[in-house]
Amino acid sequence: MRLVLAIALVLIASPAYAHPPPIGIGGFWGGLLHPYFVTAHVAAIVALGLLVGLQGWGRVTPIAFILALMAGLGLIWLAVVPRYVNEGLLVLAAVYGLLVVLARPLPEPVGIALGVLAGIAVGLDSPPEVLTVREANQMLIGTGLGASLFLVLVIEGASKLTKPWQRIGARIAGSWIAAAAILVLALSFSR
Amino acid sequence: MGGLAHPVFGLDHVVAMVAVGLWGAFLGAPAIVVLPIVFPLVMAAGGVLGILGVPLPGVEIGIAVSAVVLGLMVVFAVRPPLWIAAVLVGIFAIFHGHAHGAELPPGADALAYSAGFVFATGLLHLAGIAIGLLTRWPAGQLIVRTAGGLIACVGVVFLARVG
Repeated sequence: MRLVLAIALVLIASPAYAHPPPIGIGGFWGGLLHPYFVTAHVAAIVALGLLVGLQGWGRVTPIAFILALMAGLGLIWLAVVPRYVNEGLLVLAAVYGLLVVLARPLPEPVGIALGVLAGIAVGLDSPPEVLTVREANQMLIGTGLGASLFLVLVIEGASKLTKPWQRIGARIAGSWIAAAAILVLALSFSR
Repeated sequence: MGGLAHPVFGLDHVVAMVAVGLWGAFLGAPAIVVLPIVFPLVMAAGGVLGILGVPLPGVEIGIAVSAVVLGLMVVFAVRPPLWIAAVLVGIFAIFHGHAHGAELPPGADALAYSAGFVFATGLLHLAGIAIGLLTRWPAGQLIVRTAGGLIACVGVVFLARVG
């Protein structure tokens, strides 16, 4: 159900050309919802969550993701805004999707490295476009909580996919995420 | 929503997508899994060619031929080795992907659009698989092979239009 919800969120997500408060909500709640409304974030987090859940990597990977996310958001707070982070997230989404498709057992350190990359990229790709410092801080805190919760929910859902047809469905979902991410990457580099 | 609707409103795409699922179900495991995974990934490669403006001759013919060939595979219950089925489906996916990629809007909602049409493509595969599962029953065999015949006929009509 969470997988279906996540895919539905990808489909109804608003444009990812910038990072305004989603659906007109600012502050903490806007930040909380932010990862669910930026399509590249949804794709990367859902693909990572599927991968972690299906690999059965345990808690270290999501913790690594959360710590890296905090680091990324901290850099944003220090006004570090690197370029091409959105494209980097799409690359990660494509890689995670392909790893879900392949379904080969991977060692947990690989998962930790992938979690760190995703966490820092999501953090760096979440600059709050609001006017006051106070509201920006609230949005950053909200984004940290929202993205962390999102990943944990997807991992929890994916870890319950134990029947063969459920795991096949997850692999097909991984192929969809990878395909969509590859297409958009090509589009962004063709401009 | 534009991306979701895009493959659904092109009958040539629809019948070919359903045929992929139908043939996958007809072949059984592991083709029932491999074909719906191979198709979107290779379709993305074709889409990249379309986005980058790399010309691919006979795209519309390739799409129409995909419906004819895949439909006939079901009609005649052709059971090639898995790798041949995957290569065949992959070749056709390049044509479908090229057509989608060339029509991908250059706006910022490209990911939502791409996700939409990849999702719709997957749902059409699932529809084909659902129909293909009828082969478990004797009457279902006839229904599935008839569906394959209809798909091939639709492909012939499109082939006559673009040829």
